[in-house]
Amino acid sequence: MTRRRGQPRFVLETRDVLLSLLLPGLGHLARGFWTKALMYLGTLTVFGITMGMAVSKGRLSWIAGPSDYWFSTVMLFVMLMLIWIIGIFDLNHSVRSRTERHYSFGYWQMTTRRFSKDPKGIIGMLLILVTVHIALFAPFFASGHSFKGVEGYVKPVSHAIHMDLRNFRAPPSNEHPLGTDHLGRDVLDRLIFGTRIALGIGVVATLLNMLFGGFLGLVGGFFRGATDATIMRALEIVNSIPFLVLVLLIRGLWPGGGILSLMLILGIFGLQPARIIRSEVLSVREQDYVTAARAIGVPTWRIILKYVLPNAIASLIVVTTMSIGVNIIVVAGLSFLGHGVPPPAPSWGGMLQQAQEFIRTAWWMAVFPGLCIVVTVFGFNILGDSLRDVLDPKLK
Amino acid sequence: MIGYTLRRLLQVVFTLFALTVLVFVLLKLMPGDPAVVMAGIGAQLETIEGIREELGLNRPWPVQYWRFISGLFSGRLQAMTYHKPVYLVIAQRLPATIELGLFGLIIALAVSIPAGLLSAIYRNSLLDYTVTTVALMGISIPVFWFALMLMLVFGVILGILPVSGRGDSIALFGWQWLRVSFVTWDGFRHLIIPSVALASVQMAMNARLTRASMLEVLREEYVNTARAKGLKERIVLIKHAFRNALAPVVTNVGIQVGTLIAGAVLTETTTAWPGVGRLMVEALQRQDQAVVFGLAIFMAFFFQISYVIVDLMYAYIDPRITYD
Repeated sequence: MTRRRGQPRFVLETRDVLLSLLLPGLGHLARGFWTKALMYLGTLTVFGITMGMAVSKGRLSWIAGPSDYWFSTVMLFVMLMLIWIIGIFDLNHSVRSRTERHYSFGYWQMTTRRFSKDPKGIIGMLLILVTVHIALFAPFFASGHSFKGVEGYVKPVSHAIHMDLRNFRAPPSNEHPLGTDHLGRDVLDRLIFGTRIALGIGVVATLLNMLFGGFLGLVGGFFRGATDATIMRALEIVNSIPFLVLVLLIRGLWPGGGILSLMLILGIFGLQPARIIRSEVLSVREQDYVTAARAIGVPTWRIILKYVLPNAIASLIVVTTMSIGVNIIVVAGLSFLGHGVPPPAPSWGGMLQQAQEFIRTAWWMAVFPGLCIVVTVFGFNILGDSLRDVLDPKLK
Repeated sequence: MIGYTLRRLLQVVFTLFALTVLVFVLLKLMPGDPAVVMAGIGAQLETIEGIREELGLNRPWPVQYWRFISGLFSGRLQAMTYHKPVYLVIAQRLPATIELGLFGLIIALAVSIPAGLLSAIYRNSLLDYTVTTVALMGISIPVFWFALMLMLVFGVILGILPVSGRGDSIALFGWQWLRVSFVTWDGFRHLIIPSVALASVQMAMNARLTRASMLEVLREEYVNTARAKGLKERIVLIKHAFRNALAPVVTNVGIQVGTLIAGAVLTETTTAWPGVGRLMVEALQRQDQAVVFGLAIFMAFFFQISYVIVDLMYAYIDPRITYD
């Protein structure tokens, strides 16, 4: 086991542990079993404390949020669970490698090592993780009050949807740090809950993109010939009108469509990844090892899974990261035009649409939602940029 | 070369045809009846029936499709809610968009190419970090929010630029539909905010691309050779490096000419610029199927043609590339 030179091991490990308090999954960066375990334990503690505080504040219904966008929230939780599962595997792996006397650095170890030294990637990760934390624990960060419902029991209301019509377009104050909108709803609370929508749609739509577009690109690039030609023609047809206009047209088919249909439309028709993956596959399939595998009679599906996909994974990861940002911007644009997330739900683009009318009188309605979009998308872009450098060192 | 061009054009025709079918089917599948919208609130049933008859909305789809297509090319297709032929509706809005797009492109190129060049030449300097960070920010900023912020700062707070609209314009050659506004002072002032907003994304993308392409070229052997010959650094950079680094940038600009129209949808809506982008949003809201159809085809045509020109230009810039 080589040791990084320059700084004492203690400093390096303390830094790793501190970083991991915010980043679940960063445990990969650590070396020994105990450091890893400590890092994961740290993450668990931070999540536990946040969750405990949310529960102790009496917001047991924190999954639901103020509207019916449960799906995006559930997806975020699934993402979190995935990170944990990866973490457990990682720990397990490190137990095994600890029993071996020597272990060499593989591709992923080298990559994570490079990644941990790239300030761009760490900044991006931190930005994204802060937004993910805010999205997951939105009810804890947001304000609200309780009132006695008609049925007699106490009902909690979030200020993100509760309209206070006597207090509309109030400038930032102690009570409303970022002011209120034209219906007296708290801007900060809406932004906090809007994080769930933006991230949820962005992540789900991108995963679908990768599934559909990735599949098309893989098949087209690998089989070439007529299959490829058909796919490319179809892509060309879809790509020849602006994506936003295409989505507007398709969205017109379900005028009352909610977040779920938005995710589906963006996910299925955002075929930009197909092109990139196709070109990647085209270059991989010409490599000698693919020819060799074919020569010894490895079945096609196995070649794709075992040889082509792992070699194209670097660009897949970069494209995924970048397209989350793109999708967030597209959703904001659609909501801004009034064809995205339907109104009562607090989406950033929708908030900007409402702010447009009051640009002369209520600047706070326009400034902050946009800043949220910029910070989130910037996080994904800078992470993708750093990943591009890290995953493929040949390019540097 | 000529054979390739012809084949590409044939492909364009095929793509456009498939697109017309796609857009038509989408429009027809949309809920809501354009005849009801046209007749207005509280219209008699007979009026609605009459409109349906007049527009052929009760005919089978292939017949309606043929009406759309042939009407579009012969100029007989009437817009459903604008009381004008479709081509005239689009032609009246087009000069504004082209004006905006060209200005946006000029601003984007004027800023991004020098920025990208400098950051590649002074690599890993403070300047480089600033340029790359700002460019990355530029990609992350939604165009419409940037336009809103410009309106807020320069229009509302400082009050030096008009907030929205197009301002005075002059009709060229006495044609009422061909109006340009940048020649008048008022129109020029109106143009600044939307074109800067529209340019923001292109600016960022071009700067990144110029930097990457320049870095690539600077690593080439012939740059080394040129330096070893004792040429001045400026000549090496401009004559040997920059000219070769330009090819991908030019391609990208060509593609962007098409995307400028797309970006115009959001910018024009935000700044109330009377171009085709805003027309698209308006027509969709009014359920004017004829205008949406015509506009979608027009945009696709513009896109496709700019792609073909990019391909041909690529071969012209880089003689190593031949199409056969």
